[in-house]
Amino acid sequence: MGKRVMTGFTAMIFVCAVLFLVSSCAKKQVNISESAKPPVEEAKGETEVVKEEPREEETVVEIVEEKEIPPELVRQVEVFENTNIYFDFDKSNLKPEALEVLKAKAAFLREHPSYSVLIAGNCDNRGTEEYNLALGERRADAAKQYLIALGISGDRIRTVSYGELRPADPRNNEEAWALNRRDTFKLFR
Amino acid sequence: MYPDSARPTGRGVGPVSSVIIWVLFLVSLLLPGAASGRIYIDVNAPSIPKFKIAIPDFRDLSKDRSHPELAAGLPGVISGDLDLSGYFRPLDKEGFLDENGVALTSEGINFRDWSVIGAELLLTGGYTCIGSRLEVEIRLFDVFWGRQIVGKRALGKISGLRHLMHRLSNEIIKSLTGHDGISLTKLAFVGNATGKREIYVCDYDGYGVKPLTRDRSIAILPRWSPDGKKIVYNSYKQGGPMLYLRDLSTGSVRRLSGRSGLNIGACWAPDGSKMALTMSHKGNPDIFTIDLRGRILEQLVDHWGIDVSPAFSPDGKRMAFVSNRSGSPQIYLLDMTSKTVERLTYDGRYNTSPSWSSRNIIAFASMKEGRSDICTIDPSGGRLRRLTHNEGNNEAPCWSPGGRYIMFTSNRSGAYHIYLMNANGQNQRRITSGKGEQTSPSWAPE
Repeated sequence: MGKRVMTGFTAMIFVCAVLFLVSSCAKKQVNISESAKPPVEEAKGETEVVKEEPREEETVVEIVEEKEIPPELVRQVEVFENTNIYFDFDKSNLKPEALEVLKAKAAFLREHPSYSVLIAGNCDNRGTEEYNLALGERRADAAKQYLIALGISGDRIRTVSYGELRPADPRNNEEAWALNRRDTFKLFR
Repeated sequence: MYPDSARPTGRGVGPVSSVIIWVLFLVSLLLPGAASGRIYIDVNAPSIPKFKIAIPDFRDLSKDRSHPELAAGLPGVISGDLDLSGYFRPLDKEGFLDENGVALTSEGINFRDWSVIGAELLLTGGYTCIGSRLEVEIRLFDVFWGRQIVGKRALGKISGLRHLMHRLSNEIIKSLTGHDGISLTKLAFVGNATGKREIYVCDYDGYGVKPLTRDRSIAILPRWSPDGKKIVYNSYKQGGPMLYLRDLSTGSVRRLSGRSGLNIGACWAPDGSKMALTMSHKGNPDIFTIDLRGRILEQLVDHWGIDVSPAFSPDGKRMAFVSNRSGSPQIYLLDMTSKTVERLTYDGRYNTSPSWSSRNIIAFASMKEGRSDICTIDPSGGRLRRLTHNEGNNEAPCWSPGGRYIMFTSNRSGAYHIYLMNANGQNQRRITSGKGEQTSPSWAPE
């Protein structure tokens, strides 16, 4: 991404995007994550078709971000977002490895106060959908509480549970299950 | 042939007598408790006898014979219904001796031709098409006595022929069993054929699938209102799992609960005035009741553990739910008045998804050694039965409106699909097909 030839069209998008970014930055709300959509106030009746337009916008935002963010920070963001924590079956307590990962995340968040984090709790596909949604919620919350204990403001941490709905590995074996019992982390500003 | 009074009284082998025996047997299965104690009864061993029924092609009585395909199509629907009912075994047409079209009435039928191939019942039918209208007449005979048990005529549109035939199936089932059939009931489920999870509705037999949501997000956990006119479900279309109410007559969708965290697994109270659901806006998944405008009425369960999956008793005085307060998920019962909680399940370490039938039996999913099966238990804790055996994972049980059948999901064929079985676990049949997986069944009255 971000290495496209600047045709007239993309240049135009770029200009728009910069404007968009400037205005959004003022509100500290640039959304670089697909799943970090904040809940809207009111349901808008029946949602019929196409609500996926913002994707274009998000892509453009990322292009600009990458140009503005120093490479070192880009790398740190990638590490932050690509490092999950994992749980045992039917458990939401943090394992020692998870504590280390969360300490590193807390350090990043302390150093970059403009970032907030969305934690998504996930389960393997064994067991019941509803119970797993609650378990995913507890897994996300466990990470949130630990980050708060490490001094990160709760206002900067949001959680969502996907239960067994978003497996990282769709297979049905021990290896896949272990990978799926996880918290994922997305940064947003 | 034989008037009722002339029947030999000592014999109990005719189909009509076996109806009685078998109804008694069914009733005895459902009566509460002689045997308590937590043992799995192997329901595979004693099997409920099924009526062997012959259903030859219907006769086209129209002058112009404009719809020859209905000759097999119409009885096909009834045959499917009777098979799913669990009380009948439709015989293979290949074995029929009388191939030249069966007479409609007893005078023209050679019952010996049917009894010799093992048929206990014979269903004959004829139909007339006039324009878009369809008229169907059926007669059900006791082959042994050569006696007509049911005679019905139905009128409707050709385009609605499945509905018409389902009505006739219900008449047959009602006349032989004394209770209402399920042939006209509806099913809601979650399908991922588009790559996204959406809610679909269809007839109870898997036909006539229609998409209910097009959220292109994640839509899950549909729950039909007791009157069948509304469906609540969860969707992530606004971020987290929020609760939406869909009015099926107007098609309007309203958000009922968009509180932070979970708003999941709503269960309608039997009178349809409120629902119980799990919400976590206070920091922990607990169970609340809300009204149809989404306002919180009461917090029913307040505990540091996970509390999910509320299921009301048919009288609304109690509620089953799942809690992990003992260290693993188990089913508990809450008394709605006194708010006392007692544990219901002790067998195994993972018992979830309670569904409370109108006949006062609780079905649930029980996981042992990594495999999930459907079980039933009395609210007293007695008569624990396992209904599925060694066939993949079986989850999300849901009772039929009359409490005689259970829909559930199973991955016994690879992917997850929805299956139907009798309340005792017999006659397991796959209901949904098509692309992707189908899960999370909810059953509505007709």
